[in-house]
Amino acid sequence: MAQIALEKVSKVYGDEKALQDIDLTFTDDVTTAVVGPSGSGKSTLLQVINGLVRPSRGTVSVFREPIDYGRLPELRLRIGYAVQGTGLFPHLTVEENITLLACLAKWDVEQIKARTEELMRLVNLPLSFAQRYPHELSGGQQQRVGLCRAMVLNPRIFLLDEPFGALDPITRNEIQREFLHLQQMEARTIVLVTHDLREALKLAQRLVVLDRGSLVQHGTCKEILEDPASGFVRSFFQSQLEQ
Amino acid sequence: MHTAVISLVAFLSLLLGPDPARGQTVVVGSKHFNEGYILAEISAQLLEDRGFRVERKFGLGGTLVCFEALRNGEIGLYPEYSGTLEQAILKLPHRVSHRELREILKRRFDLDLLESFGFSNTYAIAVSRRLARVRGLKKISELAKFSDLRFGFSHEFLNRQDGWPGLARTYGLPARPVGIEHGLAYHAIREDRLDVTDVYSTDGDIKKFDLVLLEDDRRYFPEYLAALLVRGGLDEQIKRILGELAGTITAAEMQGLNGQVLLERKSFAEVAQQFLREEGLLRSQGQALLGSRWGTLLFRAATHIELTLIALVAGMAVAIPGGILIYRLRAISKPVVYLAGLLQTIPSIALLAFMIPFFGIGATPAIVALFLYALLPILRNTAAALFSIDPVLKRVSVGMGLTAWQRLRYVELPLAAPTILAGIKTAAVINIGTATLAAFIGAGGLGEPIVTGLALNDTALILEGAVPAALLAVATEWGFEGLEKLLIPKHLLQKPAE
Repeated sequence: MAQIALEKVSKVYGDEKALQDIDLTFTDDVTTAVVGPSGSGKSTLLQVINGLVRPSRGTVSVFREPIDYGRLPELRLRIGYAVQGTGLFPHLTVEENITLLACLAKWDVEQIKARTEELMRLVNLPLSFAQRYPHELSGGQQQRVGLCRAMVLNPRIFLLDEPFGALDPITRNEIQREFLHLQQMEARTIVLVTHDLREALKLAQRLVVLDRGSLVQHGTCKEILEDPASGFVRSFFQSQLEQ
Repeated sequence: MHTAVISLVAFLSLLLGPDPARGQTVVVGSKHFNEGYILAEISAQLLEDRGFRVERKFGLGGTLVCFEALRNGEIGLYPEYSGTLEQAILKLPHRVSHRELREILKRRFDLDLLESFGFSNTYAIAVSRRLARVRGLKKISELAKFSDLRFGFSHEFLNRQDGWPGLARTYGLPARPVGIEHGLAYHAIREDRLDVTDVYSTDGDIKKFDLVLLEDDRRYFPEYLAALLVRGGLDEQIKRILGELAGTITAAEMQGLNGQVLLERKSFAEVAQQFLREEGLLRSQGQALLGSRWGTLLFRAATHIELTLIALVAGMAVAIPGGILIYRLRAISKPVVYLAGLLQTIPSIALLAFMIPFFGIGATPAIVALFLYALLPILRNTAAALFSIDPVLKRVSVGMGLTAWQRLRYVELPLAAPTILAGIKTAAVINIGTATLAAFIGAGGLGEPIVTGLALNDTALILEGAVPAALLAVATEWGFEGLEKLLIPKHLLQKPAE
């Protein structure tokens, strides 16, 4: 059984169906990109995995067990989570942002220091930034801090919600390269939500295509590009890749 | 709390000391006007002279405040007037004798009305000494003989049923009086623009303007005999000592005592001591009355800060968790904030008065009232600050695996801190201002000289409380700014940075 599996998962907000009967197994240790037009339920799908959204029906299994909604914090500590706009805490320094979870887990000081330096080196952040506040950093630097924070406890699963969405093209390119490098060094199960199909194809091995809350197609990038499951998928790809 | 400590001390010294009087504490109250202060101070000094410890709770709001405080045992005694007891408190339909009045008070409230000081402070009709001499006026009934006299009365007297309408009927006075402000009437008489006006029979101004009171020969005005009203449970020895004051003050003497405070600007303590000495009631030499002015000021400021601080800390202890609760349970947010807002709209003096039935007088009700005032600013700011935290930050803090407590402790409260601190600052400044009113219910502090100054119409005395209170408010503002700089990263004070 895979680390992340969704079984007949639906999420309804009032009359609106955000997710409809999703059956989906994410392949371990690869990056799966979730794509689709806006409002197709991409973010909801991601948030179902770490319990930020509780499905109206169906079962979500993470680490091979159905989610225990009474013990979400423990589960989430094992899942890295990064979002667009970084979500860094403005009252904490870069170092405090990165190490918050490690501090709460009562790591010893040496261990925390070592981990911080390791992570900052990994994403090419100068160590001198450790004592700065987030607002003193550029958007790209903030995004790197956000990744460090998500990685601090070395989670096996990573959920990334448009993490590079707000960056300029050059910075985005750099970070995407670093991301691939990280994944090469130590493979994790990554779910990446993006509205940018090029990014998806660059970073992910597999794709999940959503339309209006329904799963339209799931497979390797190659499979889907070569054999779109429907007219919707074909036209979505065309419109995205022509831009 | 304070009273509890004092009673404990009193109780212990009662056990230890051979003389039962020594160390026993008597709480003397007074209403918030000149004569009340003087009579209370005279009683207080007499008891001190005889070895009792006296706690002064002077300048209490009004008749009902004093009476309730006495019934609840917050004070042991205060000076009252027979007419006020008959009409405002017992609401008797008809006049009763002093003896009957005493019996009713004893039976219904277990209160003892002591023998009168010897004068009645009632409405009286006054004319200038010159006019009285020229026309040979001694009695009110003689006014009917002259049709050329100019009558001018205070508006209240003019319209009260027990004022001019009844007076005119009783004495058959044909005059058509004009309404005139009380203070101006004296000047008008001196300028010979007015001949006859109403006064209070012990008014210090009677002496100042050299007026003569006409005898109420048809006994129209009710008697307002001044006497001490004491708790039935009070030590018999105390009642006996206070009994020595019976019949010692005539209306003219009371006018003189009032005048010494109003016109000669003597302190109540000075006037009272001089009176007691002249009456030969003092056994000891009497203490030096000149306390250090700065010492008094510091003591008042300390009391003021104590009241404010206790209320503020209690307010924080309730309102910050309250704000957090509101944030967590959105459903209760509206009703709770409305309720706290409602408390805020109650005028301070009314809120203080509401506290008396529950907490009596003194520091406790004042602190409770100040506490209630502190709630809204802190509660509202805490809830608003938490509600306005960037939803992305909230989502991330949940998504990364922080427990509810950890989110509050490491993310939400630090982000809300600047706004919460601003709420606490607002509450502190409001409390410092409102605490000046606490003197009305005997809590002391910087309001004490203000309350007394208002009673005496003495601006200097008012400023003696108002200026330090204002400085205290400014200092508080500065203190909080310093605290902000110390506690909160600079960039969070302007706009939360992304």
